[in-house]
Amino acid sequence: MDQNRQGARASYVALAVFVAGWILLPSGVRRLNREAFAEFQAPALHLLGRSRDLATYWEKRSRDAEELSAAGRDLARINAGLELKLKMLEDVRRENIRLREITRYQASPEYLTVVARVATRESASWWQRIVIRKGRNDGIRPGAPVVFGDAVVGRVAAVHLSTSEVDLVTSPGFRCTAYLEGDELNRIVLVNGVAAASLGSAKARVSVIPHDYTMPAGQPARVTTTGMGGVFPSGLTLGTLDGAAYATQVGNFKESLLVPSRDLYNLQEVSVLVPLKQNPGEALMQADQFQ
Amino acid sequence: MTESPETKVLPSTPVEKIRLYGVFCLFALGFLYVVAGLAYRQLIQAGDLKEQSESQSRRLVLRPPARGRIYDRNGFVLVDNRARWSVQADLAALQKEFRAEYLRLLAAERARQAAQVDAERVMELARVNVLQAWLDKIWFVIDETQKPDVRRSRPTVRSSAEPATARKVDIEELRRHLRERRALPFTLLSDLALPGAGQAPTPEDGMRAVARFIEQFPVEGPIRLESDIIRTYPHGTLAAHVLGYVKDTDDLPPAVQDFDESRAGSLQKLRYTGKTGAAGVELSYNNILKGLSGWELWTKTSAGYNQTRLKYSEPVQGSNIALSLDYRVQLSAEAALAKIKDPQGTPLPAAAVMLSVDTGEILALASQPSFDPNRLAGRISQADYDEVEKKGAWLNRATQGLYPPGSTFKVITAIAGMRRKVVDWDDILECGAFLRVGDHDFPEHEPVGYGDVDLDKMLAVSCNVWNYQVGLRAGSDALAAESRRFGLDSPLLDNPAHAEGDGQPLTELPFAASRGLVVPDREYKLRIKAGPWTDGDTANFSIGQGYLLTTPLHMACVAASLARGETRTTPSIIHDVSRDGTHRGAAPIGLSRVQLEALRGGMVRCVEEGTARSARLPGLPFAGKTGTAEYFKKGQVAHLAWMIGYAPADNPSVAFAVLVEGQLDTDTWGGKTAGPVVREMLESWAAVNGVRLAPAEPPAR
Repeated sequence: MDQNRQGARASYVALAVFVAGWILLPSGVRRLNREAFAEFQAPALHLLGRSRDLATYWEKRSRDAEELSAAGRDLARINAGLELKLKMLEDVRRENIRLREITRYQASPEYLTVVARVATRESASWWQRIVIRKGRNDGIRPGAPVVFGDAVVGRVAAVHLSTSEVDLVTSPGFRCTAYLEGDELNRIVLVNGVAAASLGSAKARVSVIPHDYTMPAGQPARVTTTGMGGVFPSGLTLGTLDGAAYATQVGNFKESLLVPSRDLYNLQEVSVLVPLKQNPGEALMQADQFQ
Repeated sequence: MTESPETKVLPSTPVEKIRLYGVFCLFALGFLYVVAGLAYRQLIQAGDLKEQSESQSRRLVLRPPARGRIYDRNGFVLVDNRARWSVQADLAALQKEFRAEYLRLLAAERARQAAQVDAERVMELARVNVLQAWLDKIWFVIDETQKPDVRRSRPTVRSSAEPATARKVDIEELRRHLRERRALPFTLLSDLALPGAGQAPTPEDGMRAVARFIEQFPVEGPIRLESDIIRTYPHGTLAAHVLGYVKDTDDLPPAVQDFDESRAGSLQKLRYTGKTGAAGVELSYNNILKGLSGWELWTKTSAGYNQTRLKYSEPVQGSNIALSLDYRVQLSAEAALAKIKDPQGTPLPAAAVMLSVDTGEILALASQPSFDPNRLAGRISQADYDEVEKKGAWLNRATQGLYPPGSTFKVITAIAGMRRKVVDWDDILECGAFLRVGDHDFPEHEPVGYGDVDLDKMLAVSCNVWNYQVGLRAGSDALAAESRRFGLDSPLLDNPAHAEGDGQPLTELPFAASRGLVVPDREYKLRIKAGPWTDGDTANFSIGQGYLLTTPLHMACVAASLARGETRTTPSIIHDVSRDGTHRGAAPIGLSRVQLEALRGGMVRCVEEGTARSARLPGLPFAGKTGTAEYFKKGQVAHLAWMIGYAPADNPSVAFAVLVEGQLDTDTWGGKTAGPVVREMLESWAAVNGVRLAPAEPPAR
């Protein structure tokens, strides 16, 4: 009996020593520890993602020929439409080049696009953060915007060797400026994620909407990036205003909820727009890491 | 089993029993005392103790509301609110950093073997260092041109003798903040988007700075971006004297309805700085514009910082006000006034008023020089105050400027004469080059005189001698009585219908002159110890000179009253579609229809071929009367240019008055100087109201 008690006491003491040791550890060591854990976890995440891809592959392989033939027909139609659009875009591209030559516009692509598969969702922040299968080795840097098509998905919060964590638009850690469709004065509004209640759905809030802004009739207003903050390119879609919540008025401004433009819960693949030049925010993040 | 003497524990003797019961009683009493004390505190003192506990551990923070907007009569925004983006530091969250820096500095001081270490000073320095480090990071992110080294271990600390800039932590401001509002966040950068204040050259640069902060600065942490609402005057100096401006105040409006004032009585209260009306409509209608404050109930830490927000209620914006001003007419009035300049190119002090004949609603009220209320909203800097003072721009010349009305007063002299039956509309008076009154010759402004003059011609050419004669015949008392009938001695009150309905007192017009108006008479002259009244005084009085002092708005009201055939017009700056056109104290003018038509006809002739020809508008016949009054400036005579009237002549809709203060080196004459301003105002009014004007006449060969 006494031995059992002594054993239990020893466990408690060991736990207390561990916790105290963890608290007293220098922050650099703790960060290194977390980093090491992330790297240790990375192969498992890769494996998980790839096994999901494999499952999808076999699920598609199991479809019958008729179904595949119908899908092929649909794809051919879409392809034809896209080819037409491509030709039109080629004209626009030529016109663009001509205008740039006339105005001697010095432009270079500001972002490098890195396509990445979604490995998993961060279990600690369900619905708010995803892990992608590209990391520092692939040139991804913290703070880079993450998109799917022309829609903003989120931005890179942390980068490991072969994986990166992405804060979704609905994450409380996400914040950016936006324009509202129909606002001719192009006044900036603030979009930021809202901490979700347990079992509640994640949301993003659009705030500082000018009091005299009226939503265009017949359709929800698009919310697009401004490009003014130096992180997101301009004109990307963040989502649409949620009409139901639109009437909320705080002081002189209005608030609304954002309906993200993509189904953030079923993302399979995203593109990371890695800026060619480091912006001050990124430098600040790195400086903080080194301090 | 027998009890041995060694194991005996219970008292057996009476003495022992008494002792034991005594101890029991003592314990029982003690227990009762504890229970009673507990009951007393739990049942009787519970409320007080709870309140005491809450007041020690909780705090109420009051947040100012957004003020109501001010529109013109067509719904055009004249005064608005805008977002102010400020970067604030949460001092409670920075406590650890303050402490670490404090220890570092303390160690450095001790290493230097300082004889005496002033812990208070070291703590202050630590706070400044930490805040400065964060401020450097903020500038690193928002400034696209300069790139400070964020990895620098310690920032440069400014001594208190150095001037405060947006890039340095203001030590004085920090001291004041810690003394008065320790619990609230400290503002590191105020109004990030404002050009100048946030060191952004243009509004777009300002918004870019805000956007860069939002997107690049870490979301989590002790530094946060707050947006609050401040007053903005989007048209700068436009109608500044009417609109007024706001000033900072800690005396916030009452909190919203769900706030229990009685329960909050003992709680410590902290207030964010709010705004209250300081002048103009902002002051006069402050009660309508101010709104209701929001409140937040916080728990506080032992160090006095806010910890957790328990409850809150958002502030409620103040009600909006629609002014009677028409933005476009106001704009044209101010633009026209700005064109009248002295030889050095400085615009002359001047005023212009246009109001509705039927309702008295003021469509334009301009005063020059003016000021930019944006620069006065909040704390007025000494430089801004001095600039406004030097220009003489505090004075609203339209409602506060006191001037002799000059020849525009001749319409009242004529009415006094006709009502006293000393002259009639068709009487012809012989008017030479002067009139001898006592031992003085009172001159005509035409060297050879005007010969035979009737009412019509008098008004057209502004004959002085006709007025001397009529004034002397009617007497000074009649002139004074007629002036009072037209309200020249009464302050002008605003008359919004909703205020009357609520039984609220009538509001004085913003910046209105309530003192200094003079309608002279014998008693007045004796009172100011200027000697007995003479005929010369009456002659001067009859042409609007001498002691008579009035404002341009009063003369515009006289013109509006003439247009309606009444004596009084109640001007209003508030737009009210239900206004019925009745005017307080108004009575019929007291002239026959023929006399009134003759008076009006003379004013029309004044514009068509008389002294107001420069204001003539083809296609819009209107009535006018010019005046050139003399006033003393630096001991020398200068001229005031006046013009009053109403338009259109046949169906009066608006009345106006324009005044320009001539300088010693300017050639200032009623019709010539004030006429073009009237013309531009009427052109603008016609354009707004769809009145078609005839095409401009070709220049005469």
